[in-house]
Amino acid sequence: MIRLLRELWIFCWRDLSIARSYRSPFILETVEALFGAAMFYYVARFVDSPQLRGSLPQGGSYFAFALVGFVFFDYLNAALDTFDRSIEEARNSGTLEHLLVTQTSLPVMLAGSAIYPFVSTTLRIAVYIAWGAILFDFPLRGANWVAVAAVLLATLLAFSGLGIISAAYLLLFKRGNPAKWFLLGVSSVAGGMLFPVNILPDWLQIVAGLNPITYALEAMRSALLGGASLAGLWRPVVVLLGFAAFLLPTSMLLFAWSLRRTKTTGTLTHS
Amino acid sequence: MPEPAITIKSLAKSFPPARSGWRAFLQPFEKPTAVALDGISLDVRRGEAVALLGANGAGKSTLLRILATLILPTGGTASVSGHDAVREPRLVRQRLGYHAGSDIGFYPRLTGRENLRFFGRLNHLSSDTVTRRTNDLAVQFQLTDALDRQVRTLSSGTVQRLSLMRALLHQPSVLLLDEPTRSLDAIAAAEFRRFLKNEILRGGATSVLFASHTLAEMEQLADRIAIIDAGRLLACDTVAALKHRCRASSLEDVFLSLTGHAPHALEPPEDGAE
Repeated sequence: MIRLLRELWIFCWRDLSIARSYRSPFILETVEALFGAAMFYYVARFVDSPQLRGSLPQGGSYFAFALVGFVFFDYLNAALDTFDRSIEEARNSGTLEHLLVTQTSLPVMLAGSAIYPFVSTTLRIAVYIAWGAILFDFPLRGANWVAVAAVLLATLLAFSGLGIISAAYLLLFKRGNPAKWFLLGVSSVAGGMLFPVNILPDWLQIVAGLNPITYALEAMRSALLGGASLAGLWRPVVVLLGFAAFLLPTSMLLFAWSLRRTKTTGTLTHS
Repeated sequence: MPEPAITIKSLAKSFPPARSGWRAFLQPFEKPTAVALDGISLDVRRGEAVALLGANGAGKSTLLRILATLILPTGGTASVSGHDAVREPRLVRQRLGYHAGSDIGFYPRLTGRENLRFFGRLNHLSSDTVTRRTNDLAVQFQLTDALDRQVRTLSSGTVQRLSLMRALLHQPSVLLLDEPTRSLDAIAAAEFRRFLKNEILRGGATSVLFASHTLAEMEQLADRIAIIDAGRLLACDTVAALKHRCRASSLEDVFLSLTGHAPHALEPPEDGAE
């Protein structure tokens, strides 16, 4: 167990060291988050009405609803991108084969490479929310932070499976997974990012029900804006864990198969 | 009789044909028809250095990559210290150091020391061991000054030396080197050969299988030379025995006599790829 944690840490240390070698990205991202939060605030002020507030599942302002939807959608983005990008960067820099001749197993490499991107996405989200709370009256007082943390974990586990499937595709076919862009597109419309799912036509609501982002956003808004307890969030959390239970092992099997296939065809380092 | 460090039996490898455009989607599922290795059998004893000599595309890199567990063979077996490269890849990787013969394979924004620390820790070396081994090897490779600079600022030859340091960091019992001196200048190449001969091979604990296009390097380092052509092993013996067998005065003539290739076939490709 200690060895596993050390292996995971060394990937995190690598990514942290690389990030540190670039100057001032954090300052730029902080400024970007300020403009992003401001944009949502003024769009919300423009469209907000008592009728709109009444139609939001968790109540509250449209600004809070939209900001949570927008920033937590980033998790799906990060999950789908992280594993792909780590494979692509390793292949392009020639480190992939040197990683694969070490004694560290592939699942640990994948998990280790995902830590820093997920942590930095979480920090980016925190900065967005902080700007919202400091300058634009984003309601944080009622948040249930234990529930927020639990939803975040369940969301990461569910989304990671999708990301690993995407990486398996990239490894095998040497190009980006079109299903990834389709999933992001569908999720942006039928995932509850900027408007509630219940305003969609019935068939799109069925599509939304098959997508983990719908449950992640529903649970996150309930915990962050509505102060829902973990017990009150059992349904979306269980669904997210169900997605994780299916997607994680499936994705690992698919990735292992893709790697074996790539070793058979001799195209491991081809781009 | 002690078990050989490397045992290769009837090793065969074929690749699917290369495809472009939409047909590239079918390539991972196509039948392997392009023969790269055709039933090679070879042993490398403990402490022995064996050189792979062959024209471009003869199968030298494929052979090394199968042993490094990066490619799966189509047939036959390859094992390192008694561990099968297909069935026990992790045990094989514990025992080998692999140098791919290129000056890429590092994180350019990390320093040389940071890169070595990363790969050393992935090979389960303790932090202290990585530091000690890095410092020792840096002296031997004359890299002490360059070690704390970002890899992107280092010359091609320096990165290549760093790559060799990485292969040696965990003190493997088997070293696989694919054109180890390709990007090194004459002095660095000579220094590397001296290091390999005096520090690695003299101890008798490390076996080396290496591919090279430099005949003088092979004669200087290798106990035996394996001549490969079109995926087949034509001969494997000492330089003297090969010369005697072919009634040749030089290794180049031996190669010519056995393969029928012109000597320039041995020159490295311009892009460095086999």
